[in-house]
Amino acid sequence: MSFDPVPSSNNHGNLDEQISQLMQCKPLSEQEVRMLCEKAKEILMEESNVQPVKSPVTICGDIHGQFHDLAELFRIGGKCPDTNYLFMGDYVDRGYYSVETVTLLVALKVRYPQRITILRGNHESRQITQVYGFYDECLRKYGNANVWKIFTDLFDYFPLTALVESEIFCLHGGLSPSIETLDNIRNFDRVQEVPHEGPMCDLLWSDPDDRCGWGISPRGAGYTFGQDISEQFNHTNNLKLIARAHQLVMEGFNWGHEQKVVTIFSAPNYCYRCGNMASILEVDDCKGHTFIQFEPAPRRGEPDVTRRTPDYFL
Amino acid sequence: MEVEVDEKDLKAAGAEMLTDGRHGLRIHGWEIESRKRSILNSPNLQQWEEKLQTSHLPEMVFGESSLVLKHVNSGIKIHFNAFDALTGWKQEALPPVEVPAAAKWKFRSKPFQQVILDYDYTFTTPYCGSQTLEIEQEKHGRGEESLGSCTLCWEECNEKIDVASLASKEPILFYDEVILYEDELADNGVSLLTVKVRVMPTCWFLLLRFWLRVDGVLMRLRDTRMHCIFKDDANPIILRESCWREATFQALSAKGYPSDSAAYNDPSTISQRLPIIMHKTQKLKVE
Repeated sequence: MSFDPVPSSNNHGNLDEQISQLMQCKPLSEQEVRMLCEKAKEILMEESNVQPVKSPVTICGDIHGQFHDLAELFRIGGKCPDTNYLFMGDYVDRGYYSVETVTLLVALKVRYPQRITILRGNHESRQITQVYGFYDECLRKYGNANVWKIFTDLFDYFPLTALVESEIFCLHGGLSPSIETLDNIRNFDRVQEVPHEGPMCDLLWSDPDDRCGWGISPRGAGYTFGQDISEQFNHTNNLKLIARAHQLVMEGFNWGHEQKVVTIFSAPNYCYRCGNMASILEVDDCKGHTFIQFEPAPRRGEPDVTRRTPDYFL
Repeated sequence: MEVEVDEKDLKAAGAEMLTDGRHGLRIHGWEIESRKRSILNSPNLQQWEEKLQTSHLPEMVFGESSLVLKHVNSGIKIHFNAFDALTGWKQEALPPVEVPAAAKWKFRSKPFQQVILDYDYTFTTPYCGSQTLEIEQEKHGRGEESLGSCTLCWEECNEKIDVASLASKEPILFYDEVILYEDELADNGVSLLTVKVRVMPTCWFLLLRFWLRVDGVLMRLRDTRMHCIFKDDANPIILRESCWREATFQALSAKGYPSDSAAYNDPSTISQRLPIIMHKTQKLKVE
């Protein structure tokens, strides 16, 4: 990728070409990624920590570099911009095509800023991507870490939460004991690496649990929140529902806390071996909800991890 | 990528592949079969939680997957499944391991009405396989049932698994790897229990491996190897070798090894760096 052509003026025509190239799972050059991310940064920095979103919109959970399944998601849910999308983070790591996946979503954001919202997940971070795949993939595909650096710098600008029609609160992880109102979230400075503790960390990491109240994970870090907490938060903020991602669920979506919380997961056959369904949540003009489940896209050229070549292990 | 086994090798070894969509083979009185299925769905997961009396299970429980090695004449059945492994996890109930971020959390103001969950989220298990004696349905007219008078037990022994013979490149007639459970520790590392098997003309060999990496904290490797050389006597001789290794990132870094988690993705390449904390060899006995 060292012979990058000098980019021409980045009008829509150019961007549309890039999008159709990305739709074929072909990565952009480093220089193109740099230009794209500069534009994306300008758009994302204007967005709120609680980004308002109008219906109709289709809400999606984790993708994790499963590019062909993202393409399947667009086939099933409708193309962007014909369908409006809200993605709740975790575009990178684990799957084989983090680069193509995140570049496509960012390109769509730049091309149709009003049609797609991309929130930050706990994997959109420098530290996590160095362990779980995105960093290595960038090295492999570009020969250096520049593209990883460009994207992880951009991740700092991703909004943390979104609010659909003032009634569905969307975020990657969950609630925080340090946050009582949406205004609490609006007020903090999000442009930074995801911290190890504090309210911003909780929004991207916490999980609902069957137990009431706040639970602290046996890891010594990480909160769980009970149904009483969800009810109180929804009541205080006049919300109907908390939609979140972050956890693998076999059916692709999973209601919790007596329908106060829903988990949405959009990576089918996660890590190419779990056999789970994926789902997306369509919120229509009348704010009605429909879950659409889908299975993995037919595979081309991906290693089949379920059958390994025999080896003389000892 | 389905691996084609040479028909001639199979025939020469007196083996035949299982049919009807089953994955495995029959060889020298053994029937060896692997099953690989999806993770448990929500209703099944809930049932398991009730049976195991826990509200926390690994996020990927391959509850219907298994590896079964059955010696038809003796009724000896060696098998591997997630349920028995998680029963072992519940019984061992190791104390929690704190992640590095926990230090910062200690200074956080605590919310009202907070509980500290205290299960072993690493899902560490002492599991080294399951064994039962089964009556043949045709012979006794009853279904699977343990023989009242006979039991199987593992006895410590001085013999060792013959690694040299296993290193010889006999053709592999059957090979598979089955994941029993897996958890990402909420992106704090990995906990993984898998079993792989290879069957050659003269023997079968398997490795059950529990692999744990808590990023920045510790690694734990619990290997169980089993080896059985085919012979046509009534009771087969099965050797089992257990080897547990463990090290903290701190200890590894003190020895000059890298301390970043990315350097520890593949347990087979780094196992030698982890000191052995337990090792034993046993032989299966019918009593």
